[in-house]
Formats: sequence, structure tokens, C-alpha cells
Amino acid sequence: MFEYSWFHIAPWGAELSIYFFLVGMAGMAFVLASAPEVFGSPAAMRLKPVQMPALLVALVLLILCGPLLILDLGQPGRFLYPILYFHWTSPLSWGSVFLLMFGACVVIFGFGLVTNRAALLRPVGIIGSLLGLSMPLYTGLDLMVNTTRDLWNSPWMPVLFTVLAVTSGTGLVALIAMLRRADDAMPVLRQIMGWSVGVTLFLFLGLWVMFLYGGEELQQGWVLLNTEFGTQLWVVTFLIGILVPLVLLVLPLANQPAVVVLAGLGAMVGAYSFRDMILIAGQMPQLFY
Amino acid sequence: MAIGIQAPPSAGVPGKKRWAMVIDLRRCIGCMACVAACKAEYDVPLGVWRTTVKVKDTGTFPNTKRHFMPRLCNHCDNPPCVRNCPTEATYKHEEGYVLQRYERCIACRTCIAACPYNARHVLPGNRTRVKVGGVVDKCTFCEHRVSNDQLPACVQTCLGRSRIFGDLNDPKSEVHRLVATMGTVTLKPEKGTRPQVYYIKPDRLSMNQGDAAPVSAAARSDAEAFYRHNKGSRFFGGVL
Repeated sequence: MFEYSWFHIAPWGAELSIYFFLVGMAGMAFVLASAPEVFGSPAAMRLKPVQMPALLVALVLLILCGPLLILDLGQPGRFLYPILYFHWTSPLSWGSVFLLMFGACVVIFGFGLVTNRAALLRPVGIIGSLLGLSMPLYTGLDLMVNTTRDLWNSPWMPVLFTVLAVTSGTGLVALIAMLRRADDAMPVLRQIMGWSVGVTLFLFLGLWVMFLYGGEELQQGWVLLNTEFGTQLWVVTFLIGILVPLVLLVLPLANQPAVVVLAGLGAMVGAYSFRDMILIAGQMPQLFY
Repeated sequence: MAIGIQAPPSAGVPGKKRWAMVIDLRRCIGCMACVAACKAEYDVPLGVWRTTVKVKDTGTFPNTKRHFMPRLCNHCDNPPCVRNCPTEATYKHEEGYVLQRYERCIACRTCIAACPYNARHVLPGNRTRVKVGGVVDKCTFCEHRVSNDQLPACVQTCLGRSRIFGDLNDPKSEVHRLVATMGTVTLKPEKGTRPQVYYIKPDRLSMNQGDAAPVSAAARSDAEAFYRHNKGSRFFGGVL
């Protein structure tokens, strides 16, 4: 039978899932880089050897986010508009402000570290860490507030994005630690990653239940996820991104740095895939309206 | 009353105008004149639309029927696009229009994601005649025409007079009368957007099935049995 309709697709594509991934990792890399100054505990002090490289990686990742945002918005100057015309009900406005402030914190913290200004490091580290974690939080919130998209409209979305950023950021720092032969840092990183991947598993199961018990749009979304995104959901996200890292991290074998890094790489793949899938699939059920 | 971050309502506010549209689906013949008029009015580029008419065939030959459904921005009284816009490029006019400030729009497409009606689009950046491009655009209810006492282009051109436009807050207006008397429906009301495009469904009998007599003998028989069975129950108490 003949049927004609038209669709205006909200073109949030790969540039944004990459941005979500990079900015989240930058946030967590900064949290870990500033941890020795912020917490000062023996466990946090074990991260000291990876402090500077983690900070540099956070900076590089942030710099990489610039072209992605320009690609997404079309013009460089547009990034400033949410700050100039700040709209307090929009998470994107808050995100723009926080992103700028986070960038400043990374630079100031690096300056403090190089010039050895101890008094500067702790306050900037605390503020920067909160802003760093607000990066994945605001990206998740940006999806959550779209009450008209059932796949996104869950209060768990910002939590999930933050946890995924913790996992991927820690995985990246674990890789740096292995390259720098900072084996002392590995148990701390393994513990953080173990907890965050564990929480990711629970959030994954929570979303699963939400889909299975959901209304029409969620049911449609669930069908979509299992058909169009089947491999990404079950193989890349669940198996490679959650299950394998979790098993690797709880095994006694995980004392070896290579195993922690392997788990971290898997978790990074999963963290990207999870957000990418939610971002793209979340836009689709409405197309059938 | 608006609570929290919800938009202040325009509908039902005394002394204020609230522009709204009623679309009588019984009258739409799918001629697409409204789409063409809108395209001409705004030089809407190929591939995007401010308004369109959805077409769907149902049934099997020879008992088939073609349905038409004009679609446009619903100029919600509580628009999620306005709430989510990071630069207030999208805003709600006090008379109910949801409008777009091109000079502020950063094409972040948050409003497109927020809109449950698929009513927004990105204008291509390489337009030749009209230079506005690379920003999000949408139906404006032809605010520039309405503020000069003219009807929106789609309403003006509608052959079957399917589209009716007016001030919902004016008790004498046709849209007010139709919304009050015709049992109109809106799209996705459960999303809390309070859309201001009202539809009169094509089949009055199905629309008014609560108080209309069943048509076929079988349906009438079923209904009578159902009524008999449920008579006196709480649901039907006072109705039959």
C-alpha cells in the first residue's frame, strides 16, 4: 500500500558520540591526575607517576574536542553563543560554561604542577575534578531532558554516561601507567575500573528491564536495538565492553598490568559503543511516527 | 500557571491572543497546495518542509481508502524545544507562536531532538536566493502575515478549507468554536507539550463512538450485549 511521510532526522551523529567519549575520558583523566593533590591518601599518591602524562592526555583530548564541536556546529564562533546568550534551562548551556571552565582548570593545574605551586593545586584539582565529571554528566543530561524520546528520557542516563567516562578514563590512564612502567598505580586503577564496570553492568541490566517493561516507544526501541544494533549491543557493548573486562578484573590474573590494560581497552570500546548506540538509536523510534 | 521551567501558558489567558489551527481531516483532499504555498512563501529548500501532508492507504482492493494528514509545527503551549535551546534562539511569543531567531541559532539541533512532532529541520548552508542557511528552521504560523491581519499561507490556499486558523482565546472565533464543540484531538498529548494544532478526525462515527450508535447489525448486537452485561456497573452508571 502506498504510504508517504517525511522525516527530519535530528542529525546527531558520530562526531557527537566521539565527542562524548573524548570529553568524558578527559574529565576522568584529570580526576586521576589531580587525585594525589586532592585526596593525598596513600592510594591516591600511587598515581603520582602518571600525574603529568594523564594531565597532558586530558589536555590533548580537550583540544581534540574543539574540531569535533566545530564540525558539529558548522562555525567556530558558535561555541560561544550558549555562554553569551546563556539559557539556564538548557543543559547544553551549562555544559558549554563548564567545558570552558574545565579547560581553564586543566591549564592552571598543569601550570601549578610545573611551577610547583602546592597551594594552587588542591583547590584547582577539586574544582577541576568536579567540572571534569560534569562533562559526561551534562552530555547524559542533554539526552535525558528530551522527554519526547523515551530511549533517552531516563534519570539513569547522566549516571550511565558518568560511569562510562570513569571506566574509559581509567582504562586510558592504565595504558599510560603500563607504558610508563608505573606498576604501583595499577592496583588503584584496577579497583576503580572494577567498580565502574560492575556499576555499568547493573545499569545495563537496569536499562534492559526498562526496555522489556516499557511502553510502545521503548518496545520499538528494543526491537531496533536487537536488529539494527544487535552486534553493537550484545557483542561490542555487553561482551567486549562489560563482561570480558569484568571477568578479567575480578580474576587473580588481574595482578598483571597487561591484564588491567586489556580490560581497560575492552571497557573503552564498550564505553564508546554504549553511548554511540544510545545516541543514534534514541533518535530513531520517532522516525516511525 | 507555569511551575518550574515550564513555559507560561498562552491558551486560556484572558486578554491575550492564542493563535491556533484546527485541521479538519474530513475535508483534506491531499492536494498539497498548503505545502506548495509554504514552500513559495519562505523559499523552503528541497528536502525539507515546514509543513507537509502525510499520505497513507488502508484496506485491500477494492475496499481501499486514502488518508491525508497535514503536519506542521504544533506551536506548543509548553514547547520542549524552547526549554532545551541553549541560546534562546527558539522562543515562545506571548501570542503563542514558537519562533526562531536565526542570528542566535548555533545549529546544535537540540530543538530537533526535543520536538516530538518532527517539525524542525536544518536549512542547508549553500542556499542561493535566500541567504539564511546552516541554522534550524520551522513553521512560524506565518507570524509576519498574521500580524498584518492576513491568514497563514497554508490556510489561505487550502482548497477544501481543511485548515482553520484563529485566536483560540477569542470565544467568537471559529477555532474556539470547533475545539469546544467538535471533540478535536491533538498529537502526542501525553508528552505534556500542549500542542495547539487540533485535528478533527475524518470519521465522525469513530471519533464520537462513545455516544454514536453502532452502524452494522453485528456491531450493534455486540454493543447491546456489552451494554446489557455491564448495565448497572460503575463504569456505565448514569450513562445508559
